[in-house]
Amino acid sequence: MNKNNSKMLTADEASKIVASSVIRRRKKDARLKTYGRIAIGLAVSFLIFLFVSIFSKGIPGFFQYYVTLDVYLDRDRLDPKGDLSPESLYNGDARSIVLESLYKVINPKGRKEKKAAKKIISSNADVRISKMVLDNSKILGKTISITFAVDDDIDSFLRGYIKRETPSSERRINDTVIKFVDKLSAENRISYKFSDYILTGSASRSPEIAGIKGAFIGSMLTLAVCFIIAFPLGVATAVYLEEFAPKNRITEIIEVNINNLAAVPSVVFGILGLAIFIGVFGMPRSIPLLGGMVLALMTLPTIIISSRAAIRAVPPSIKDAAYGIGASKLQTIFHHVLPLAMPGMLTGTIIGMAQALGETAPLLMIGMVAFIVDIPGGVTDPGTVLPVQIFMWADFAERMFIQKTSSAIIVLLVFLIFMNAAAVILRKKLERRW
Amino acid sequence: MNEYTLLILLLLISLLWFYFGNKTALSLKNKQLKLNSLPHYYGIYVALYSIIPSLFSYLLILVFDGILFSNLIMEFVPKEILNSPDFNKTIVLAQIDNAVRGIYFGEQPDWVTIASNQMIEWNNQSLILNFFCSISLALGIGYLGFKNIHQEFRSRNSVEKIIISLLGLSSIIAILTTIGIVFSVIFESLRFFAIIPASEFLFGLTWNPQFEGAERAGSGQEGLASYGSVPLFVGTFLISLIALCVSVPIGLFSAVYLSEYANKKERSIFKPLLEILAGIPTVVYGFFAALTVAPLMRNGGSLIGLDVASESALAAGFVMGIMIIPFISSLSDDVINAVPQSLRDAGYGLGSTKNEVITNVIIPAALPGIIASIILAVSRAIGETMIVVMAAGLAANLSFNPLDAVTTVTAQIVTILVGDQEFESAKTLSAFALALTLIVITLILNFYALHVVKKYREQYE
Amino acid sequence: MVSNSNINNVKTKTIGEIFSKDPKIICRNVDVFYGEKQAIKDVSIDIASREIISFIGPSGCGKSTFLRCLNRMNDTIDTCKVKGSISLDKEDIYDEKIDVVTLRAKIGMVFQKPNPFPKSIYENVAYGPKIHGLSSSKEELDFIVENSLKDSGLWEEVKDRLQSPGTGLSGGQQQRLCIARAIAVSPEIILMDEPCSALDPIATAKIEELINQLGKNYSIVIVTHSMQQAARISQRTAYFHLGELIEVGETKKIFTMPEDKQTEAYISGRIG
Ligand SMILES: Nc1ncnc2c1ncn2[C@@H]1O[C@H](COP(=O)(O)OP(=O)(O)O)[C@@H](O)[C@H]1O
Ligand SMILES: [Mg+2]
Repeated sequence: MNKNNSKMLTADEASKIVASSVIRRRKKDARLKTYGRIAIGLAVSFLIFLFVSIFSKGIPGFFQYYVTLDVYLDRDRLDPKGDLSPESLYNGDARSIVLESLYKVINPKGRKEKKAAKKIISSNADVRISKMVLDNSKILGKTISITFAVDDDIDSFLRGYIKRETPSSERRINDTVIKFVDKLSAENRISYKFSDYILTGSASRSPEIAGIKGAFIGSMLTLAVCFIIAFPLGVATAVYLEEFAPKNRITEIIEVNINNLAAVPSVVFGILGLAIFIGVFGMPRSIPLLGGMVLALMTLPTIIISSRAAIRAVPPSIKDAAYGIGASKLQTIFHHVLPLAMPGMLTGTIIGMAQALGETAPLLMIGMVAFIVDIPGGVTDPGTVLPVQIFMWADFAERMFIQKTSSAIIVLLVFLIFMNAAAVILRKKLERRW
Repeated sequence: MNEYTLLILLLLISLLWFYFGNKTALSLKNKQLKLNSLPHYYGIYVALYSIIPSLFSYLLILVFDGILFSNLIMEFVPKEILNSPDFNKTIVLAQIDNAVRGIYFGEQPDWVTIASNQMIEWNNQSLILNFFCSISLALGIGYLGFKNIHQEFRSRNSVEKIIISLLGLSSIIAILTTIGIVFSVIFESLRFFAIIPASEFLFGLTWNPQFEGAERAGSGQEGLASYGSVPLFVGTFLISLIALCVSVPIGLFSAVYLSEYANKKERSIFKPLLEILAGIPTVVYGFFAALTVAPLMRNGGSLIGLDVASESALAAGFVMGIMIIPFISSLSDDVINAVPQSLRDAGYGLGSTKNEVITNVIIPAALPGIIASIILAVSRAIGETMIVVMAAGLAANLSFNPLDAVTTVTAQIVTILVGDQEFESAKTLSAFALALTLIVITLILNFYALHVVKKYREQYE
Repeated sequence: MVSNSNINNVKTKTIGEIFSKDPKIICRNVDVFYGEKQAIKDVSIDIASREIISFIGPSGCGKSTFLRCLNRMNDTIDTCKVKGSISLDKEDIYDEKIDVVTLRAKIGMVFQKPNPFPKSIYENVAYGPKIHGLSSSKEELDFIVENSLKDSGLWEEVKDRLQSPGTGLSGGQQQRLCIARAIAVSPEIILMDEPCSALDPIATAKIEELINQLGKNYSIVIVTHSMQQAARISQRTAYFHLGELIEVGETKKIFTMPEDKQTEAYISGRIG
């Protein structure tokens, strides 16, 4: 022991010094804690801000303004050929019938006012009448009241985005139109209700009748293709690498490869689709089959990596038990390891699918951006997907598209939330097992 | 009769073989002979024998007849079109393809009608050929497998061998994907560098790609096209830097708080909340950046007398920063949690405050992992596309000013390759060259990050 | 302040003398819970100045848990709750006024597995004095480091490589480094939780010698699995069983003629 030192502190001296430093150190500690809280607070408030901003725009997007008119469904004018075929109805004069019933309410005088009146009702009104007649031809020849979507500018006006106070020259709608709209409101013909179009309509350049049905179905088809390709391939690869692959150069290369693929930016997969699938194999553009294949290659690494982790997490004792009663390796894997690892593999797959569902750039590049009005009927029909639809709508100038885009985003987010909730539940189940 | 019927037919045949195989095995068993494997393995064996080669030939013909025909059909394209300067194989093929499908845009030139008729005939022939080949393979090879069945035959082992090879084959897909990526990028890039010198691409200061068509059409833009990628990389760098300025402090402090200060309940609430940020599709962030954040910044900027472009690097970078917070916080949280408890005990045992344990013990020990998480976040930021396309604009300004509009490598790749492209043109090819550099950069970052993490793991194992 | 009147007036089932004449730490009716589960049941004991006391008992009986109560290391475990009173120099250490930082500076701790920081040997020892501000100059810090390393008997072995990493030392050296790190803060008491269980016999012998030396200046509480070790180094021994303190007394007495049946069974190797 070092008895002769004068400088080594005694316990008493030391504890005095420590006590004197404590307040300062505690403050520092509290400061770090506060920084942490601020950081989390910021991140969470960004999240809330994002959601509030999307939802505040998107919820109104599910609703829109309608005008109710009493329409006389003149048989001869609507169905000139008289055979109730779609062509005949298409050639019919539904548009002017709608306009006439409108004029009856607002009494426009002269050509100028009539022109203004035409702006009130969505250009799609005739299609609505044709559809009604196709569904039920008995209504022909009667006068019934029908609600039509108002044009998007009128909608924006009614929502207050286009202001009355703005000088007429700077408004998208002129004073005459406003006068007519006021008249319609006064007669209680304007109503605000859940949109007929947002969920069931297809892509359209007119925002009031645009909907996400086509994109939604396109997304589902694309995702289905992606799943059918990526899940079996991913699981098979994971089983092989985890259980059978000899430890040699080739498997090492494969592993490095998979890790790297997971890091490759998604645009690169778009290039792959463009150059190989379209360029070399001559696949048609814009089809969900192609989109699904590209997304499958993109999600494959995620699925492989999580499946391998799930397989590795199966306790070796279970395998030993199976081997112990004389099961072959493949039997052991298919009868015991895979069922136990399945929740984990599905969790990874769902997370991969959720990524794929939100992916935009590669699908843009393989042409799923095309302006497609038809709803795809199969994986080889041209189609688009929700995120691409969102991207396209976000680019349009009409005010109403902002709301519709936000609504589409809400649908997309709801879907993602469902998928992630499924993943969480599966993971919970997995945890309970051991 | 089409491809789908054929596919179903093949499946039916193999099902039939399964039935025969199974039945034969059962009858052997009924004769009191001891079988080597369970009867259904014999069925599966024959079915696999039948389906695998026939499916292979089916897909082979399906994929490659199109490629073959699109080359052969060029015979039918008139010389003057083939030799004209505007000749574009893709467009010509699309023209014929549309005619085949019965889609007409106005009057057709005669050669298109002839070529499309020829095409239809070829397609029919190829379908018949496919029928013949696949079905005879399904029946023939299936029969070979069927003949293998006898009492001693170890069908289970054979079936397992086949399945294991199939599993092995599927792991090749990952390799094929990489090869596909590398080839598609490298070949086109080489063609690009044959037109534009690599030095211009790597060091040029203006990025202004033009369609050759536009130049030739005398739109007054001759010679304007330039392919200096520096502004794109500067833009990428600028936006990533802004994103890091947002995400690194927030991500790190969050990770530290969650792993060291938060109680269980706070952790279980805030950790998933942060992870939601990574699950939101980028197109949603792009919309948010363009419609909410950018106007806010513009208005905020004009309040304090700053001129913020309506599409600014700041808005895009900021939103991207929000997006990558969880990449940093999650991985950092993991590595902080991986710091052994004994080290914390040592610190607390000496009377350290939490702050002291964190800054003196935990952060230094977790540093490599934290750095790796930042590198991965950088690579994520560099590869991000939609936010930039929607919020930062497409103007290739060479600017370090975060208030300016800039563009990035990924945004350019997408805008060049969306919609109709002139293949062969320098503009289209430039996207591939950009992609090549992008891949190289992200792979280097990824390699380095994984290397750091591995080193770190070894340290504590 | 724990009032003087009731500290020596406590009901306990423990056999033997739990009191000491010059108590440094006084524990009364201590219960410890991990969530619902009770790990320590009604333990009362004194620890005297400059004594070496060992805690023995079968694994899982709560020795570590009790030891960690003495410097409030249990605070780092969320589920852990401590009841009863523990006082250091007659001051309740679980009082709100007491800062764990000052407390732990007074009561050092050495852990079962050597846990040097992944830093240089010098930095490991200097860390405590640095955070507590115990030195005002580099020379003073050097002096403290040198002295602590000398006291822990490591100086001769490492003086030429103070800057090399502490994790590069052998297990026994690492543990002595951890002891040096603890005494560099000039504590009054050192808690040791099975400090030799990860070490080979030669390293163990060195640590035991060191503990004997340190016992002249510090109170030392040592948890050990080895009864020989307890017999070799400690003046008093406490026997724990299933969370209870069964018997305390002079080491010699505990090992030669234990009063309690369980203690006897353990000493003679029937409980393990
Ligand atoms: N962090 C903890 N959480 C819950 N229970 C614990 C924890 N640490 C120890 N225990 C339990 O408390 C009891 C006493 O443990 P411990 O003090 O480590 O025993 P010893 O050191 O005597 O072997 C044991 O039953 C153990 O399972
Ligand atoms: Mg213990």
